[in-house]
Amino acid sequence: MGYKMVRGGDAMTASTLLPAPRVKRRTEDAGRVVVAGLSKSFGAVKAVDQLSFTVNPGTVTGFLGPNGAGKTTTLRMLLGLVTPDAGSATISGHEYAALPRPNDEVGAALEATGFHPARSGRNHLRVYCTINGYPQRRADEVLAMVGLSDAGRRPVGGYSLGMRQRLALATALLGNPWVLVLDEPANGLDPEGIVWMRRLLRQLADQGRTILVSSHILTEVQQLVDDVVIINKGRLVRQGALAELAARNAEVSVRTPQAEQLHAALAGAGFDKVRIERTGPDTLTVTGMPAARVGELAFTAGVRLHELTPARGDLEQIFFTLTSSANGGEPA
Amino acid sequence: MIRLIAGEFHKLFTTRLWLWLLLGSMALTALYGSLLIAFANDPDTVTFPLSTAPGQQTLIAVAAGGANTLIAVLAAIGLTAEFRHRTATATFLATPHRGRVVVAKLVTFGIIGIAYAVACLAVVIVVAVPWLAAKNIDLSLTGNGIPGTMAAVVADVAIFALVGVGVGALVRNQVAAVVGLLIYRFVAEPIVTRIPALTDWTIYLPGQASSAIIRIALTNQELLQPWQGGLLLIGYGLAFALSGTYLSVRRDVT
Repeated sequence: MGYKMVRGGDAMTASTLLPAPRVKRRTEDAGRVVVAGLSKSFGAVKAVDQLSFTVNPGTVTGFLGPNGAGKTTTLRMLLGLVTPDAGSATISGHEYAALPRPNDEVGAALEATGFHPARSGRNHLRVYCTINGYPQRRADEVLAMVGLSDAGRRPVGGYSLGMRQRLALATALLGNPWVLVLDEPANGLDPEGIVWMRRLLRQLADQGRTILVSSHILTEVQQLVDDVVIINKGRLVRQGALAELAARNAEVSVRTPQAEQLHAALAGAGFDKVRIERTGPDTLTVTGMPAARVGELAFTAGVRLHELTPARGDLEQIFFTLTSSANGGEPA
Repeated sequence: MIRLIAGEFHKLFTTRLWLWLLLGSMALTALYGSLLIAFANDPDTVTFPLSTAPGQQTLIAVAAGGANTLIAVLAAIGLTAEFRHRTATATFLATPHRGRVVVAKLVTFGIIGIAYAVACLAVVIVVAVPWLAAKNIDLSLTGNGIPGTMAAVVADVAIFALVGVGVGALVRNQVAAVVGLLIYRFVAEPIVTRIPALTDWTIYLPGQASSAIIRIALTNQELLQPWQGGLLLIGYGLAFALSGTYLSVRRDVT
């Protein structure tokens, strides 16, 4: 491909080309995404089932779930493209269709396929500049931001999937919106592209924007997101801070000659949802309690520890457990 | 709404289809005009001699036949492309009230229809004036009711653009909309209107309404008055557009 990529570290970064949104008269709801009791069926299939969650401004929220969990349908209902059977979805306190100037408030990249193949990427953007009354040069600005300046004049029909993803993101950024809704934006990006996108989204979130980004791979976004909303089979499985999810579900393996005593000390500490498993004559696995707390409790109880190991890289496992078919929606 | 219409023009002029169909309309007009003049002596093909006012009006009116089907195709493609290429997502994100998008397309393609009509009128004039002059027939563009015919051609083509938008809104599937339009215009209606027993009824069909506007009958039956034909054809376009907006365009974009 003969186009030059502009990476996040280069001169053209989000902060230089995309200033923080103009301060408008902000209400309490500004930038907040509220999904309440949303349901949608396609024929006999319940795509989204009584789904409720909230996304707060200034955070990057990962909207996670396996393929077919209902993520895209939820986002399309949020954006007024699909009519819900029940429930509501609002952005900054309004349903999407009631936003006075929707592209100024919300930028969305829903798919990397929504382009006329004969139209150039630049012209695609310029059309939406015309419709929204933005200056035409805005198209070139966002093209530069996503690293498509050189490919901009070529027909989209010749773009790779990664380039289409960038163009979709550029379209979303056109109105310099407060809220960004991105459906699987990392699909088709190479590893470098994923790093670039992470940086860009982090910069945008640091400016106080709300970013809702869906993915079916937790590890793809775990370095990016602050909060997670996890769904499975159209129902909410878990919402909260990623760090909390990791801590609550972290496994700590402990080796001690006084396994019985430690078991009793941990069980008596009054923690909810702590699971203690005897995995050998002198080993325990503790789930739902940080390693430091296990160490403190052992010290207080006078239990000698030979090993205290927080399990690493287990988020994917947590995600898998939460969204496995047996887990219809009840938090683990 | 002005920006929305400007956006529709921007969409149209950033691909080439409008140009190909315009060239097609002009070529078709040149062909129809040439055939009419070439076979003008054949008593079976032309009702009126080209030296008479009705004959000259018929000749000028071929511009409508050259442009009106292809403008409808262009308009139908303009609407259905949003769904075929999935640009509907970005379009409806920018304009959540989808009826406004349909209205913007009606206005845009109506204006493009006027331009197509003017271009095709120019073609028929360029072909006819020297050719008839060679036959010692003076084709005056200001007399013999020719200005009225030209106005009728412009109205007819512009209204057909509305019908095209309407059909596109109703059908949404691009291939079905285009094939349906072509089959209807070139096969279905011409057959039906030649069935004598049905003429009381077929004069209300879109193609016959169009013939009424330009006052050119394919057969020797009575047509509606031009203004009646015009209103009827506008009615078809708006009825398709309105029902399409509610039944089809507003459906989920998944």
